[in-house]
Parts: sequence; C-alpha cells; structure tokens
Amino acid sequence: MGPGILDVLFEYWPIFLKGAIGTLRYAFIAVSLGSLLGALIALMHLSKSKILSSIASLYVNVLRGTPLLVQMYIAYFFLPIAVPVLNNVDKEVYVLIALTMNSSAYVSEIIRGGINSVDPGQNEAARSLGLSASHTMTKIILPQAIKNILPSLANEYIAMIKETSMAGTFMLYELMYTRTLLANKYLSWQPLFIIAGIYLIMTLVLTSLVKLLEKRFSVSD
Amino acid sequence: MTDKKIPLIETKNLKKNFGDLEVLKGISETIYKGEVICIIGPSGGGKSTFLRCLNMLEEPTEGEVYFEGEKLDAKSTDIDRHRQKIGMVFQQFNVFPHLKVIDNITLAPTLEKKIPEKEAKETAYKLLEQVGLSDKAEEYPRKLSGGQKQRLAIVRAMAMEPDVMLFDEPTSALDPEMVKGVLEVIKKLADSGMTCVIVTHEMGFAREVSDRILFIDEGVIAEEGTPEEFFTNPKNPRTKEFLSQVL
Repeated sequence: MGPGILDVLFEYWPIFLKGAIGTLRYAFIAVSLGSLLGALIALMHLSKSKILSSIASLYVNVLRGTPLLVQMYIAYFFLPIAVPVLNNVDKEVYVLIALTMNSSAYVSEIIRGGINSVDPGQNEAARSLGLSASHTMTKIILPQAIKNILPSLANEYIAMIKETSMAGTFMLYELMYTRTLLANKYLSWQPLFIIAGIYLIMTLVLTSLVKLLEKRFSVSD
Repeated sequence: MTDKKIPLIETKNLKKNFGDLEVLKGISETIYKGEVICIIGPSGGGKSTFLRCLNMLEEPTEGEVYFEGEKLDAKSTDIDRHRQKIGMVFQQFNVFPHLKVIDNITLAPTLEKKIPEKEAKETAYKLLEQVGLSDKAEEYPRKLSGGQKQRLAIVRAMAMEPDVMLFDEPTSALDPEMVKGVLEVIKKLADSGMTCVIVTHEMGFAREVSDRILFIDEGVIAEEGTPEEFFTNPKNPRTKEFLSQVL
C-alpha cells in the first residue's frame, strides 16, 4: 500500500498547489482567448454571407467532432512543421493553441445560442428605428444575450478545467501532471485521489458561483 | 387631407413569397402625405406583410417600393437612413427591456441622428407627457402595463420625427381595457397631420380615423375607398362577407 493519501498530501502539497494553479491558468487562458475567437466565429456563423457561415460551421463541426487529445497531438507535432515561426516558442503554446481553438468552437455556439435566444422583435424594432446593423447588435441584442451567455461561459470554464488534464500528456505543469512527477517517487494511487479531490473542489466551488450568477441575472428580469 | 396629393410611399406590383406561399400577389398603391390609411382584411391575407415591405423589414420578392421618390430595395439605398423617417409600431410592442423608458426613446436619436443627449431627453420627456407616462421615465419597461408599453413604443418611434408611422395591429395584443388609451394616442397623432398606415381589426376606429380604407385579401387589394363608401356600400362580395363577419 505505501503511505496514505493524507501523508502524501502533507508532504507534497506545494506540488499539488502548483499543479492546481497551472490547471486554473490554462483553463482561464483557453476560455478567455477562446471567447474572443469564439465571438468572431459566432458572428461569421450568423452573417448573411453563405461562405463565411459555412466556414464557421465547418470549423465548429470539426473541432467539436474530433477528440481534444487528437487536436492537441496535431497541434504539438504538426504546427511546428506547418508554421516555422512557431519553432522557437515554448511547447506550452502548441497545447494552448489546441485548447483555445477547441474552446472557441464551444464558445461560439454559446454566443450564437445567446444571440438567437433574443426575441427577433427586438432586432426588428431596432432596425425599424433606423439603427444600423452594428448598433443593433451592440446596443440591443448583445446586452440582452449576455444574460444567457455569461452563465454558459462560466460552465465552459468549468468544463475546460477538466479538459486541461490532457495537457499533462505533453509535460505541461498542471494538476494531472503531478501524477507523473509523483509516480517517480513510487506513489501510484495516492496522488490520483488527491488530484480527483482537487478537481472536484474546483468544479463544485465554481458551479455554485455560476448558480449565484444565474440567480442575480434572473432578478433583473 | 388628401387634397395635397404629394406621394410619400409608392409600391409597384409588389410581390412577396414565403417559400411556395404567395402572400402578396402584386400590389400597386400610393400613399400620400398626410393621409391616414387603415388596412383591414382577414388574417393571413397579407396585410402585415404589405406593411412590413414598406420599410423593408420584409424584402419584396418582386416589384418596387418607393419612399419620398427613392427606390428602397435598390442595392445602393442606405435603408437605415430611410427607416429613420418611417416609424413603426408592432403588435408585440418590442420595447427594449434592458433600457429604462427614457433611454428606449433617446437611444436612436442620439446614436443615429447625433442629437445631443440633453436635447434628446427634453424631447423624450415632452413626448412622454403627451402620452401620460412622465412618471415612468426612470422605470424599466417590465414595470409597465401592455398599454403603457405600446404608448412607449409609439413615442419611441415619434422621437425620430418620422414622416410616416406604420402600425402593425397595435392593439391586438392588449387587454381590452388598454385598447382605448392606445387608440386615442394614435388618433391624436393622425389628427395632427402625421401620415399613418394602420393595420387593424378595430373597425370602429378604422371608420372614425381613416381617410381611406384598404381591404387586403388573398394578397391583393380587393377593395379600397373612403370609410363611408367602404362600410356602407362595399362592392366586392369578399368585402361584404368579411364585414358581415366582423361588424
């Protein structure tokens, strides 16, 4: 059996802490950049141009229809070959590109859904007043869509916290990577329960924050 | 009113299909400055679609729409600029729920006509007073009744100082006790000389307020005339049948 779970936690807590921070950081970067990219994809998807919307649709389908791990491998091995500029950057960047692109596909659907959930009458009223398409979007549609978008975006962040566990495969210092580090010290099972426990605490805390957020939004309805 | 005869809106052979369904089958009509026109007819006959083609909320499948002499569906037309002069009021009010009453009104004038905030607010307050909503200026629309929302929607459109107002069944979604107040506001507007095109099921109102009635049925104007002619001596059998059902 070896040492107990608590023994391992007390001895190696700085490693777990560093891993947890890594996880939160990667998830945050992926969802933040993914949101910007996702907003762009959503606008392309909603645009009147058939070409733009089919490109966006293809992008979303490919990224949601293939495993993230495969996407990470492609980014890790193929990007340096395809884009020589990326040859000298930290390998962390490849994995982050994969995470960001993957997240952007999901976020774009969240944003698109949020925009589509706004009553079409709002668009008609704004346009009939002579508001431009862009003013209609920024002043009328988005402020109403944001209520639906923000909680889902927070949920995407929670999902991404779990997804980043795959980054450990590429030696990126996040929570799951601590398993590899401690396996070298002949600790096979104890770190796994600690890792699972930390993931659970992070997602539970964040989920309850999202619930609070949703409650606040529904008050102003 | 109609003696001036300056054409404001003209449609030529206006057609609109939704998929295989022909909703408008070629409507040529001229609306003159200062006219008050009520459009009546059975549901699904094309009344609302016709109205929505006048500000290009629906793009015509065929035919043309002219507003103040300019072709609206031309590629080169800046439709936003024209829409600023064509006010529209919807059955479902479509007030902006995330904006205070006062901001619902000032948004378009400040954004699109670059009217200074202060001036826009003064105008808005005057308009709100005219429809009895001064005390609601700082409220959000959710605090308003249906009738109040519709009056807000009317003054929101008025704040752009349009040359014509389009009303798409403005009282159909209202509780009965709210209808009168909204119709009074529309009537005041019509009496002030504003050109109005009103799709309505309120026959008494149509008779009282309009200079001309258009009866739209099965995608065409089946009959038109002064309210007097139309209600007392309809010529088309379809009109007679319709009136016998609603009156």
